Amino acid sequence: MSEQKKTFVITRFDPDRDPAPRQQSYEVPVQPDWKVLDALNYIKDEIDPSLSHRWSCRMAVCGSCGMMVNGKPSLTCKDAVSDYGNRIEVAPLSNFPIVRDLIVELESFMEKLKSVKPWIVKAKERALEEGAHRQSPEQLEEFKQFSYCINCMLCYSACPVVANEPDFLGPAAIALGHRYNMDSRDEGQSERNEIFRGEGTVFSCSYANECSEVCPKHVDPAAAVNQAKFNAVIDWVTGFVTTRGGK
Amino acid sequence: MARPVHPQAMTPSRAGRTRTAAPQAASGWYTQPRMLKYLLFDATGIVYLLVGFIALRVVWALGSGPEAWQELMRQLANPLYVAFHAVALVSVVFVAVRFFSLFPKAQPAHIGPVKPPPAPLIMAGLYAAWLGVTAVVTLILAGGLF
Repeated sequence: MSEQKKTFVITRFDPDRDPAPRQQSYEVPVQPDWKVLDALNYIKDEIDPSLSHRWSCRMAVCGSCGMMVNGKPSLTCKDAVSDYGNRIEVAPLSNFPIVRDLIVELESFMEKLKSVKPWIVKAKERALEEGAHRQSPEQLEEFKQFSYCINCMLCYSACPVVANEPDFLGPAAIALGHRYNMDSRDEGQSERNEIFRGEGTVFSCSYANECSEVCPKHVDPAAAVNQAKFNAVIDWVTGFVTTRGGK
Repeated sequence: MARPVHPQAMTPSRAGRTRTAAPQAASGWYTQPRMLKYLLFDATGIVYLLVGFIALRVVWALGSGPEAWQELMRQLANPLYVAFHAVALVSVVFVAVRFFSLFPKAQPAHIGPVKPPPAPLIMAGLYAAWLGVTAVVTLILAGGLF
């Protein structure tokens, strides 16, 4: 296969030396079938071993290699180098503090995910002898799409609200909470809807739809957030006519 | 180069041991066509604010007698006002089309046992309602109904 030289402009940041992130260029002989991640690995292996970036599965499943490529959030293991011109800018995900080079701080994202209680909440544990909790294909269909999230955080990088409101729960966390709210086995809707009615949650979303545009797994977090708005309101209204916890 | 975003964006509640660089937005992100469209969508709010002020002026003139009304009509015939209203019309159409395209997927999976109709039907209903209301308002303004 014929190789072609492309210039990769990479954001570099060494917390021990650099006062702020800077850019560094590398000439990379790319193969036609390369993904952007292949070029980053080439730079690390052959040109500059000090480059730091995250990656793992190389098949768009683990969600580790999310970065900004020419200004757009993308999974670098899925993004073909041939789709770009001769100059490719790679930067860490927007809207996240930068730990080193292309690696961003994940802690806040993890805190936000955890805050929506992303597990099946049951008032009473089901006894083993009662058997499996069966779910029909129709019931599964209601949340299946939202369970495809791989936590790549591209949606947080694309979201204009995340960029401006630090307390905003964000697309993936809300989509995850909504996924459990829509699960027929779950009984935690009231708890999550109370979270969703709080400051910096579903009603902070201005429906830019950017999260859904960049989602590599077609989860459509914007749909989840806006459906969650509706459900949070309905839950609030029904709270006046039913007892809390009453179903 | 990158643009700054809120310095506390996606910052953990407890600072880690490693010094981090402030979050930033990649260069070019806010000039992507999709993002520009969204910014334009939000910016139409300014147009509606101004339309609101004009509407208040109209109501005020209506209550101030025929002379005030005639004077307002004369002012509204000014090409600048006409141009502004043309911009307002374009804004309304732009926002409505965007809103209608995003509305179907914001519907809940079901309300009780009732499921929402398919997306094309919801959109057709929205456009039909829009055209219907426009037709009725036009008829009223043209004196065709009352």
